[in-house]
Amino acid sequence: MQSLKILIVDDDPVTRSLLSKRLIKADYEVEAAENGIEAVRMIATKYYDVVLTDLMMPGGVDGIGVLESAKENNFKTEVVLITAHGSIDNAIVAMKKGAVDYLQKPINFDELFLRLEKIQNLKHLVKNANDLREAMDVTEQTSSETIQTLEMTVADLENQLAQMKSILAQQDLTADMRIQMALNS
Amino acid sequence: MNMPETAPGKLAKAAAAAPQVKLSALNGIKRPVKIKPDEIQLLANYIYGIAGIHIEASKAYLIETRLGRMLEAENCSTYSEFYQKARADGTKTIEKKIIDAITTNETLFFRDANPFELLKHKILPEVIDKHASKSIATPIRIWSAACSTGQEIYSIAIVLKELLGNAKLNVKLTGTDLSDAAIRAASYGSYNKFEIERGLPKDRLQRYFTTDGANWKIKDDIRAMAMFRKLNLMHPFTAMGKFDIIFCRNVAIYFKLEDRKKLFNKIADVLEPDGYLIIGSTESLTGVCPRFVPKRHLKSIFYQLR
Repeated sequence: MQSLKILIVDDDPVTRSLLSKRLIKADYEVEAAENGIEAVRMIATKYYDVVLTDLMMPGGVDGIGVLESAKENNFKTEVVLITAHGSIDNAIVAMKKGAVDYLQKPINFDELFLRLEKIQNLKHLVKNANDLREAMDVTEQTSSETIQTLEMTVADLENQLAQMKSILAQQDLTADMRIQMALNS
Repeated sequence: MNMPETAPGKLAKAAAAAPQVKLSALNGIKRPVKIKPDEIQLLANYIYGIAGIHIEASKAYLIETRLGRMLEAENCSTYSEFYQKARADGTKTIEKKIIDAITTNETLFFRDANPFELLKHKILPEVIDKHASKSIATPIRIWSAACSTGQEIYSIAIVLKELLGNAKLNVKLTGTDLSDAAIRAASYGSYNKFEIERGLPKDRLQRYFTTDGANWKIKDDIRAMAMFRKLNLMHPFTAMGKFDIIFCRNVAIYFKLEDRKKLFNKIADVLEPDGYLIIGSTESLTGVCPRFVPKRHLKSIFYQLR
């Protein structure tokens, strides 16, 4: 499966650069935004598997704003928040709004990679489940066509048999006449 | 003179002071309990008794995968013990949890699009016309038997809404299911991203749902069209009155043939004379209920009383 497409959102150029370099080195596809507004613009035009965003950012759109925008665009996008030590409450608000995880600064890269692996595993599982469901749909579709045809055919044959039976039971007609009528029906 | 405590001495002291811990917790990895052959029959009979679901011996793994976690939660070390505990529970709390766990809640919005097209283009227009021509206005009654967590009922509601627009129509949707948990969830109407991912294109999602944290919740005007209650299909349900349209999809597959026959006969009893029955796309009533005659329209089959 392809590597995760990650968007880094942080107003600090040093953090952006550091994260980008480490993630690119780990074979992820990385893009970066300087602030929330730029991030929202980028999210509107392109799909990202993961958005890694600072919680507190100046400029009108903060991490929560980025989160909301990402979720609106595509609910498959997972958002991880980077929080300063001491703003756990905000992080929890964000989790309730659909963020998948949060990391505290200074970022522990081992932890970051573990979290990204977890996201990747989850996506694998979801893809497997979807593939299974698709296969099931195809099977169900084909079977249902066959079963429906059989159902109608059986109903039709039952009708014909019932008709024949009633004709053959007509005592006031000769056997030959009855057979003739039954065959014609 | 006091000697400083040695490390082993400290550990021994701490161990003596610690509360008794279950040995299993110290083992680290818990091995799931395996069900024994005689226990399979015991539990299969019990499940049949409370839910009508027929589990053959070859499907014993279902019992393990569905009830395994409950065993741990109830602190039982064997399935016999678990069964006894469930039977002895006068509040039926364990029984309810077993039902929640054992019933397959596999359901999607607009599962297999065809019946909903059928509803929109043939069945609903016919039913609406029929009711309009009646001298006394009666509500159109639609029942989703085994509605699970509500996706089917809300899908029907959405089709109705799209057909009628703002026109007022006297329609009553009823959803029933055996599982209390499923009924609660259906009634609440909030779905996670996996549940809405299939079957709901973005425009329908935005038109009929609002965001609810990380979930999507059905909008009030749609929710108001439906009512939910618990019902065991093995029990009588004539008290529900008669319905114009009945959906009974992919639940009879869990029953024995004789129970299927009984079920569809009971359904025939609560269907209006010119009512419509829709079953699962891979199900058949041949040899099950001769009171129904199949009819084909577009890519679907529906049944009416003979």
